[in-house]
Amino acid sequence: MTKRFAELFILTGYLILAVLLYRSTASYPDSVQGSTALYVRFLGTALAFFCSLELFLWFKNRGQEESEKMTIATVPMRFWGLFFLLLLYSISLSYLGFYLASALFLPLAMLLLGAKKPLSICLTSAGVLLFIYLVFAKLLEVPLPEGSLF
Amino acid sequence: MILQALQALFTPISLFAVFIGTTSGVIVGGMPGLTATMAVALLIPVTFALEPLTGLLLMGGVYCGAMYGGSIPAILLRTPGTPAAVATALEGYPMTQKGHGGLALKVSVIASFTGGMFSALVLLLVAPVLAIFALTFGPPEYFLLAILGLAGIVSMADDENRLVKAIISGLIGLIMAVVGTDPMSGMLRYTAGLTDLFDGIAFMPALIGMFSISQMLELTGTKSIITDTSTITKIKREPLPKGIHKPIVLGSLVGTIIGILPGEGATIAAFMSYNIARRRSKHPELFGKGNPEGIAAAEAGNNGCVGGSLVPTLTLGIPGNSVAAALLGGLLVHGLIPGPELFTKYGVMTYAFIMSLFIANIVFLLLGLFMAPYFARISLTPTALLIPVVCLFSVLGSYAMNNSILDIFIALLCGLAAILLQKTGFSLGALILGLILGPIAETGFAQALIMGHGSYAIFFNRPQAVALWAIILLLLVPPIYQIYKQRKTP
Repeated sequence: MTKRFAELFILTGYLILAVLLYRSTASYPDSVQGSTALYVRFLGTALAFFCSLELFLWFKNRGQEESEKMTIATVPMRFWGLFFLLLLYSISLSYLGFYLASALFLPLAMLLLGAKKPLSICLTSAGVLLFIYLVFAKLLEVPLPEGSLF
Repeated sequence: MILQALQALFTPISLFAVFIGTTSGVIVGGMPGLTATMAVALLIPVTFALEPLTGLLLMGGVYCGAMYGGSIPAILLRTPGTPAAVATALEGYPMTQKGHGGLALKVSVIASFTGGMFSALVLLLVAPVLAIFALTFGPPEYFLLAILGLAGIVSMADDENRLVKAIISGLIGLIMAVVGTDPMSGMLRYTAGLTDLFDGIAFMPALIGMFSISQMLELTGTKSIITDTSTITKIKREPLPKGIHKPIVLGSLVGTIIGILPGEGATIAAFMSYNIARRRSKHPELFGKGNPEGIAAAEAGNNGCVGGSLVPTLTLGIPGNSVAAALLGGLLVHGLIPGPELFTKYGVMTYAFIMSLFIANIVFLLLGLFMAPYFARISLTPTALLIPVVCLFSVLGSYAMNNSILDIFIALLCGLAAILLQKTGFSLGALILGLILGPIAETGFAQALIMGHGSYAIFFNRPQAVALWAIILLLLVPPIYQIYKQRKTP
């Protein structure tokens, strides 16, 4: 995907959002039609105006600028791998609980990112979890996600 | 009374309380997910067993320390420990990438110290007078204050195209802030039936996603955060950059003033100081690329907020921000009712508490200067080990604010969106400004219109409002003129 196409895609999405936002204020109670609904309508109108302006500039400069390819990740395998691992980790927190899910996530993410020494992977993972247990759970009593399976 | 207060403060137990409070504050502030508000609130039951003064000193120390501590991970890992450190991350992290993380930490601690000392001095000398001034601000002024903050968006852009994109980003931030309960009618808006969204999109997860998770994803292609490791150990020899005192003074002033206004927090103070410093800088083009002036202004701003926020808290019982609200709870459980009596009947304790803020600032200054070279070494950790650990703390930080799994998904979504938006030239700083200022702008706008029976004249017919309009214009005209001039130049 080129950078310019991505811009066009985002701006179109924002324009749709602006229209939906404006229309949604019709369902606001009458008591706030002159206050918060007005504010939201203003946001919708302003967003539509500036997106249209940006689109106008986009079309105006289309011939002048060379469109460059947009690279989201330099190493896509690691980038998307980490993202999906984070997604899986977040989902698993509700089932496995914080400690078990983290004990799986940390070494897997380290291996994915190229860590090779098993000792440093194990020590870092265990050290971080011990620190969280002592400081967050025991000392400050911060509630951590609990699993439904364990 | 001042002498008695000094006597009460300079006892071993009181000084120890300030030291422990400040050190704990730096640690708490340095960890995403642990906030100064949480730490002060957790301390309240602990202080039951202590003398009231010792408890207050502990809480004051935590407040000062946490406000500084937030800048450490913001500079080294682009992971703000507290929301107030976001503006610091904008300049601090690029400095770390260039191998000047140590210097960035040094600038941060000195600016934090100066801002903190200045605001404590203001609190000590003119608290009651300033509190009465702050009370004259009504909804129209709060709306204009939000506009004043949003005016900073214009200075984030350097050409016409960027300006439009920065405004769009700011508007998206304002729209994100609309999600949740309508402040006037109590109606639920855009929540998709999710109870976790009833209070709106939580600010901290969005921040963590946009700054921390996005950065960690970006770092997956590198082996180390910094490219030049030779400078990381030179912190003790690196002198402070020239002209750094101006943004520090500016940030201290802005932070203290913003802090005095109830409801305006350290995050807004830091962003406003940062934007004004950028506007007044001789090298605004270096902002966003690792300019120490930005760190100085932002850190002086958020620490200036500490003393400022205590002005209405101690004199009127109106907390300046959420930490001050928790501290107010601490005062009340010890039977200390804010108001004139706090400065007369309980004057010894109150003045000892105010003066302890000076000591707390000295404690974190020494701690920061001594520890900065060691903190800076964090950036040398191989990314293969660092990224998973920071991601774990980011997930934990997103969850811990509201104990909500949904917040973790918000953080992940914001992280991915931030990368896409940044690559296409949209401004994350403007988006965050919109998100922070959205609730203040909406409530101020709606309440003012109700007060003025639907007439917009209410935004113009009060002296404070006129003064704010003048400042807004002063901030807007130069950057717009500059962009116009750039456009005319072939």
